[in-house]
Amino acid sequence: MRQPSVVARRVAAASVSLVVAAGAAACGPKDNDAKGSGGDSAPHKGGTLSVLNSEPQQDFDPARLYTSGGGNVPSLVFRTLTTRNRENGAAGAKVVPDLATDTGRPSKDATVWTYTLKKGLKYEDGTPITSADIKYGIERSFAPELSGGAPYLRDWLVGAADYQGPYKDKTGLSAIETPDARTIVFHLNKPEGEFPYLATQTQFTPVPKSKDTGTKYEEHPISSGPYKVVKNENDGEHLVLERNTYWSTAVDAERKAYPDTIDVRSGLDSSVINQRLSASQGADAAAVTTDTNLGPAELAKVTGDKELAARVGTGHFGYTNYIAFNPTVKPFDNVKVRQAISYAIDRSSVINAAGGSALAEPATTYLPNQKSFGYEPYDLFPAGRTGNPEKAKELLKEAGYKSGLTLTLTHSNDKNFETSPEIATAIQDALKKAGITVKLQGLEDNDYRDKIHSVKTEPGFFLAHWGADWPSGGPFLAPIFDGRQIVKDGANFNTGLLNDKSVNDEIDAINKLTDLDAAAKRWGALDKKIGEQALTVPLFHPVYKRLYGKDVKNIVISDWTGVLDISQVAVK
Amino acid sequence: MSEALVASQAPGTDTPVPGASGARQFWRRLRVQRAALVAAVVVALLVLVALAAPLLTALEGQDPTTYHPSLIDSARGGVPIGSFGGIGADHWLGVEPQTGRDLFARLVYGARVSLGVALAATVVQVAIGVAVGVASALGSRWVDQLLSRTTDIIVAMPLMIMSLALLAIVPSSFPRPVLVTLVIGLIAWGNIAKIVRAQTLTLKGLDYVSAARLSGWNTWRIARRELLPGLAAPVITYAALLVPMNISVEAALSFLGVGVKPPTPSWGQMLTSADVWYQAAPQYLLLPAGALFVTVLALTVLGDGVRTALDPRAASRLRVGTGRKSESESENGTGTGKEETA
Repeated sequence: MRQPSVVARRVAAASVSLVVAAGAAACGPKDNDAKGSGGDSAPHKGGTLSVLNSEPQQDFDPARLYTSGGGNVPSLVFRTLTTRNRENGAAGAKVVPDLATDTGRPSKDATVWTYTLKKGLKYEDGTPITSADIKYGIERSFAPELSGGAPYLRDWLVGAADYQGPYKDKTGLSAIETPDARTIVFHLNKPEGEFPYLATQTQFTPVPKSKDTGTKYEEHPISSGPYKVVKNENDGEHLVLERNTYWSTAVDAERKAYPDTIDVRSGLDSSVINQRLSASQGADAAAVTTDTNLGPAELAKVTGDKELAARVGTGHFGYTNYIAFNPTVKPFDNVKVRQAISYAIDRSSVINAAGGSALAEPATTYLPNQKSFGYEPYDLFPAGRTGNPEKAKELLKEAGYKSGLTLTLTHSNDKNFETSPEIATAIQDALKKAGITVKLQGLEDNDYRDKIHSVKTEPGFFLAHWGADWPSGGPFLAPIFDGRQIVKDGANFNTGLLNDKSVNDEIDAINKLTDLDAAAKRWGALDKKIGEQALTVPLFHPVYKRLYGKDVKNIVISDWTGVLDISQVAVK
Repeated sequence: MSEALVASQAPGTDTPVPGASGARQFWRRLRVQRAALVAAVVVALLVLVALAAPLLTALEGQDPTTYHPSLIDSARGGVPIGSFGGIGADHWLGVEPQTGRDLFARLVYGARVSLGVALAATVVQVAIGVAVGVASALGSRWVDQLLSRTTDIIVAMPLMIMSLALLAIVPSSFPRPVLVTLVIGLIAWGNIAKIVRAQTLTLKGLDYVSAARLSGWNTWRIARRELLPGLAAPVITYAALLVPMNISVEAALSFLGVGVKPPTPSWGQMLTSADVWYQAAPQYLLLPAGALFVTVLALTVLGDGVRTALDPRAASRLRVGTGRKSESESENGTGTGKEETA
């Protein structure tokens, strides 16, 4: 029932954007008086789009934001060298040029990346955007007072490990060259074929040095995108964006920017957001949310109502929820025990605990079930829909546990439908059938996270999840399975403590590839190879469902973000 | 006749001395309060249900932990299939959303946790409260100061926050219901200690206690033989009101996720899972909420009845057990107050 409607909407949305492109070519790009010519099919230009959120747009500074693909609201103000493709589904998981003319020209070994800026790029004050501003923007993100971004730049750029930012070190980063105002060159200390993905993050936003106000820059960052910040109250609690008149679709192929004003309010309870969006009264008719999904109970109500069901956007973000084992803790050192648990798992009851089949899809692979990650379907320990306790018992017998086994499963006490007691209880129930008695150890959420990410306190058997910084196998597999990324003191994500030379070498080899499709295939094969060690039991991939208001049109949901792209939305 | 004598011996001290005959008098006074009687029946039923939980669920043919995925609509968030949350011959009160576990079984097993923890915690509170109160009243000035100030601190401590803190630091291998019992018991004994101390101080000055002391009894014997019987009434009264409070606290702790561990059902835990379902599956929320409401109300009314029955002034208004009026007459009302004994 749900699948056809998604397909239908994708087709509809695609045809709508074609019409827009044609219309735009005919009557010129700018100007907000295009509503007469467009008719019913063209998205309406103008109006105010409300965004109802629970989390504020905190630290609204391109140096400090940690985003995937440049973020949703930030991407309205900050343009980057590359960006995510603003299209539905799998096509939306591709990286495309933004400020640059292409996604980057690598040297032969992918250690040097060169970009050329488009012509005619301007800031909100009409001054031109230069490659030196992009370099400066990246340098700022190294300043300790502007921390918050992803760690890749520090790890990848030559000589950047101890760089302290342009305020302390005036000479700047020699790893970034700007031979002229439109060219920028990056020197990396190892091959990184996925550099174009990294260049989508807001750290690649140009910041004019003369306008930099340090930690105060977040109050009024200089816009390079379709909107500028006119109000930023209480550190992003209320953000008002208005049209940047120096921006146009002539220099930006990705963002549509139909509404004149974007009003972002946060601090709302998730149930309030969903209630307001379902009522869709007054200004809420032109409202969306960029951070609140429908929960299971809300879904039960929405699917029973045709009008509401038609206003639900469904998306897939690359994410996996799984059981993690620490093989240094007995009895999980025994691969047969890990396999037995893999066989015994009842994914249907876990999925029900996570919100049902509409909000979660069964996972048998560690990589998300999307093409861009290199997803190769495999099910090494087939448990069927509801588990295979007989096979599990057999394996336990072989492992020397004839009369069953008692284990402790660690989980968070947070009610998050991911690592929550509900999921843990469903696993407990499933393993009972295989003669495994599971005791639950519920921890306060912060305590839980500290424990599972420290080599010293890591439990043997716990719930975990992972989402990548961009839709590729690299940031999904390397932090979790690269033996050189085991952190002895500090936050460790290689929870299976895997240090396998063949795995490490393959990761290095794939990072050299600049053909991202070829790399994806190798990541998929590597995932399967790691899967044989049964260090995790993949449980499910979440599905995002979000309501939007009655007057919201032109919904685009990519597989990169899994949520409606705010730069494409039009309001009536 | 003796009860009347006892009751009038110490007017104004609120201290009938219950003995074998005191219990009879208490029962007669309780019996005439209809609300208290109904509440007593309800409480008795709840206790019975809690004790007979395995029997009742066996009768239904269900248990509180088995998942029934076929009874919920997974595509709609796991809402129970069928009207009123899947109520039917197999599942008397329907099933739980997302799991399909039997709600009747979870409710009756939840009663065990709620009542068990609340009653046990009350015992702990009374034991500590009486010990501290009596020791404080009979001890030296320094002992009194020390214990009274400790009691003040305990009373001033916010119950929920302290419980949350304590429950968070104890390793999770400790049996959870025992832990919750101990935490509630160890934090909320302050008021009972204060009441016992005040009462003991009053009793200490009475002639029969002085007589006992003059005849050479030691403090321990006086406390045991002369004071404790006199303390029974206020302690029982207060304890009766503590039980419903403890039930609420246990439910609140479970609601916040630090109570008993899943899959053991408890009403507070059911409430916390159910709160988002109030529109899609209202019975899921209404059942534990209703159970809590009825239990706390019944226990509070019963506690109030107990207080009335143990308070000679209030009891005289009932015109029962004072020896003045017959029981049958007093059934009709709680008295006008004009005929109150002075």
